[in-house]
Amino acid sequence: MSIKKSKHFFEEDFVEKIGEVSDENYKQLPPNKDLKYIGKKIPRYDGYAKVSGKAVYTFDINLPNMVYGKILRSEIPHGKIKSIDISKAKSTDGVLDILTFENTPDYNWYGNSSKLFDQVVRYEGDEIACICAETQKDAEEAAKKIIISYEKLPFEVDAEKSFKSENLKIHESGNISREKPDEYSRGNVDDGFEQSEIIVEDTYSTQIAIHNPTEVHCSVANWEGEKLKIWDSTQGIFEVRNSIAKSLGINEENVQVIKEYMGGGFGSKLEAGKYTLMAAILSKKLKRPVKIVLDRKEMNLAVGNRPDSKQTLKLGLKKDGTILALNHYSIANVGAYPSGGGCSWPARTMYQIPNVKTVDYSIFTNTGRSRAFRAPGHVQGTFALDAIMDDAAEKIGMDPLEFRIKNYAEKDQVWGGNYSSKMLKEAYKIGAEKIGWGKRNKIPGSEKSYLKTGIGLASQIWWGGGGPPAHANMKIAKDGLVHVYSGTQDLGTGTYTFISQIAAEILEIPLNKIKVHLGDTDFPFGPSSGGSTTAPSISPAVRDAAEKMKKKLFSAASALTNISEDKLIYSEGSFSSENIKIINIDEIANQVESDSLFTKGSREENIEGIVVQTFGAQFAKVEVDTLTGNVKVIKIVAAHDIGRTLNRQTLENQFHGGIMQGLGFALTEERIMDSDYGKMLNPNMHDYKIPTMLDAPTEIEVIIVNDMDELANNMGVKGIGEPAMIPTAAAIANAVYNAIGVRIKSLPITPDKIINALYKN
Amino acid sequence: MNNFEYMQPESIEIASKFLKKNSSSYLYAGGTDILGMIKEDIISPKQLVNLKKINSLNYIKFDEKEGLKIGALTKLSEIEKSEIIKKSFNVLHQAVKEVATLQLRNVGTIGGNICQRPRCFYFRGDFDCIRKGGDTCFAVTGNSKYHCIIGGGPCYIVHPSDTAVALLALDAKFKISSEKSEKIISAREFFVLPDVDDQKENILKDGEILTEIIIPNSSNNISKFIKVKERGAWDFALVSIAGVFEIENKIIKSGKITFGGVAPIPWVEEKVNTGLTNFKIDENNIEKLSSLAFTKAEAMDKNSYKIPLAKNLIKKLLSEIVY
Repeated sequence: MSIKKSKHFFEEDFVEKIGEVSDENYKQLPPNKDLKYIGKKIPRYDGYAKVSGKAVYTFDINLPNMVYGKILRSEIPHGKIKSIDISKAKSTDGVLDILTFENTPDYNWYGNSSKLFDQVVRYEGDEIACICAETQKDAEEAAKKIIISYEKLPFEVDAEKSFKSENLKIHESGNISREKPDEYSRGNVDDGFEQSEIIVEDTYSTQIAIHNPTEVHCSVANWEGEKLKIWDSTQGIFEVRNSIAKSLGINEENVQVIKEYMGGGFGSKLEAGKYTLMAAILSKKLKRPVKIVLDRKEMNLAVGNRPDSKQTLKLGLKKDGTILALNHYSIANVGAYPSGGGCSWPARTMYQIPNVKTVDYSIFTNTGRSRAFRAPGHVQGTFALDAIMDDAAEKIGMDPLEFRIKNYAEKDQVWGGNYSSKMLKEAYKIGAEKIGWGKRNKIPGSEKSYLKTGIGLASQIWWGGGGPPAHANMKIAKDGLVHVYSGTQDLGTGTYTFISQIAAEILEIPLNKIKVHLGDTDFPFGPSSGGSTTAPSISPAVRDAAEKMKKKLFSAASALTNISEDKLIYSEGSFSSENIKIINIDEIANQVESDSLFTKGSREENIEGIVVQTFGAQFAKVEVDTLTGNVKVIKIVAAHDIGRTLNRQTLENQFHGGIMQGLGFALTEERIMDSDYGKMLNPNMHDYKIPTMLDAPTEIEVIIVNDMDELANNMGVKGIGEPAMIPTAAAIANAVYNAIGVRIKSLPITPDKIINALYKN
Repeated sequence: MNNFEYMQPESIEIASKFLKKNSSSYLYAGGTDILGMIKEDIISPKQLVNLKKINSLNYIKFDEKEGLKIGALTKLSEIEKSEIIKKSFNVLHQAVKEVATLQLRNVGTIGGNICQRPRCFYFRGDFDCIRKGGDTCFAVTGNSKYHCIIGGGPCYIVHPSDTAVALLALDAKFKISSEKSEKIISAREFFVLPDVDDQKENILKDGEILTEIIIPNSSNNISKFIKVKERGAWDFALVSIAGVFEIENKIIKSGKITFGGVAPIPWVEEKVNTGLTNFKIDENNIEKLSSLAFTKAEAMDKNSYKIPLAKNLIKKLLSEIVY
């Protein structure tokens, strides 16, 4: 083990970390077909606990003597609180305490752009007070009795208008998040366009989408002396620990964060929430455990969203289909506080283009702030990029698939490195075959019937390589059970399951001998679960711990049997010598002193100069009813290079989930704001339309094109959480165009847009 | 959510008497709509009158002469399962299947479905709109995507019920009971436009309860219901259409078409229905007929798509019934 500085991509940005890495250099495991557990359709480790109701989610945590916090939020989009009268609320039955900006110290929030309770509210949903009471209902009733008087300020919910506005200043620095656009260029786009024979230019837009995970955001905080214990529904227990410790000015070691099970996050739970800090403050004051649970309206208003985008793309190419230049300009609504809405990474990296320029503006508005949402930027960016790719292909009379292969990027174009693996061509080939690409409409919209079918495709690129530091400890208890401990978390994605599979595979013992313990900051560090990095960061550490354990078992067996290690043969949990079984793991565990069979596993370094990325192509077949404007997705074929599959079952589950979320983005989901009043009109699960099973594609086919990515890490694994969703909406949109022959340039493609496009009223 | 008095009367008479005396009380049938409205503070009843103990209102009866009678408290899923409705009043079967989700249909009643409140997101949100006693319809200058194209003003809701659209096409009648009397009116008379009453969707007065739906026998008819919605389930109609026809050799002898999602009440376009007498189903005639529809519609900023959509549904309905 040694301490190294290393960097990898995490949600659109490099992170550089100094931490312990494994120095071991393991040979790649054989392909899955030669393995017993890895890659197989193994049922979820936590499946029984979940379906039987035994799994305890943060929402389920109830402690003796616990009290409840309810957050009062701004009902107006922008204003300064002139006065806040809590007297009536405070004298309500059961009310214990009320926090407001007047009685609470300044805790900086959103990178110093706001406070835990700020006197200025900048969107409908901004936190104003937190009422703590004996019951949830007491707190809710008391919240209604708080009287606030505002000095109303001008507001704007639209990014372009806010960008141009002269009398609206949402922050001192103006209305551009991070004060300037994110810019990138390579080559010279002007020269590129000059050399181009054909120029295609268009503007595409995408909507604001809300994460709406099944489990709402919630925290329970409880002080035990100087130690603060927090149960939180989070994607990053260490992130919450560090952030809350920093806010409170206490040592990180005095904060423990626990999250055993979770009902989804999709990026909205990657940062510590204000409610968590409020619960900690109230718990300290009242000396009682405090629980704060957000309701569905708060989930829609105040815990993040995918920023919208308005993207103008200009593509220059030669008649033979060679792309020479791409200009990408975008503007995104990131809400009231700093966040990133850039969506140009696909433009920079997806296709071979020598001259590229991108400018991304992230603009403040008086609406809920955006957060990372399953492949931030890429979902929006891919929709626009793959739309203009199809438009360009049509203009030069080239098949869209052939056009993409013609402009295939063999090497990374931003850093100039080689890819660890890129099997996108294979994905194109098999995907095209499975969707029946050859039978696709040659002329979009040419089908005679009012029911028109279409086929479309889109490409996917994303990081998902992960990296150190990431640790897992392993211990064999006296009873022979193998325990794995890691401070990573399972968001519902299958972390528990793959860890048990890897341990069982390496140690050659049954799955039921493995116990996995996750989601506790008292366990060794695991990174936040985002960026599709959990599996590629943690799985190599688990292998490291297991391989080291195997070595240890050799020495233990030798010590117990007095047979030298080189004469021992290990197979399926037992040691033999000269073909006679001598001792097994249970016996060893029973005979050695406690804590002897303990190993520390760590993620190894990433290889310098190698770019690890995931790739894929999704093909959609749709049927559009041109009388009603309804789009039915008949089939999605998802063919991807995501390295080694750890579990075919959870892999398919995650693809199905990603594709459904992509389908919702393509067809149904949209935050609707009233621009006159700055309020969200559909902050509930009925009007914010997440697709139902009846909207699901009739068929989803998932194809993984490679056995492993040997250069990615010792497990050959890359992430799939985000790749699964990235190209779905773009593929559906291209299929709709192929069906009806009219391009719907804004998502979601709802019936009104199709009817408006096809019929002049 | 406010505190309220809760009662479960065992007869219509008692319920009606109570309702008449307490004008701020609300009726609770299946509860799928009203409980949400109370929890979200859209309404704050002082009394809630649950009808579930009144067993006599849960039935589906058929008689060749008298037609079909459905008790107002019959669950939507019971109607969905009814063989006689499936066979002879198929348009109602189809419309019921389109309501919300199976879980909600297991709880929701036909009476409640007909009397449910509008889904307008200004009415449901914290906007002091006309329907809640305010003086503004926020959809006019705001987001009108789901609002009406005809019959609106000063409020521009659409009526949310799918079953009501089918019942109008079937020439249904509603029985309205009060403490001492009963009356039967046509389904069409039941619903009111906002210029008559902008806070109620029907004519029910304090103390009056919708107790029965009566549908004349019409077993020779061909019928169809189409609902266009934005997602597969658990969604209200952008536009819906119901049609009931007597057809011989591709000629409609007589017929009736009704619309949902276009107006504050289930809507009838008279010219279309007049045109359906001895109507030969062919492409030309269908085109002509659909051009007669919604000539008086007035779209707002975001709902103009509903006009071509509603016309398209006439085409879809007529071309699909013959195949």
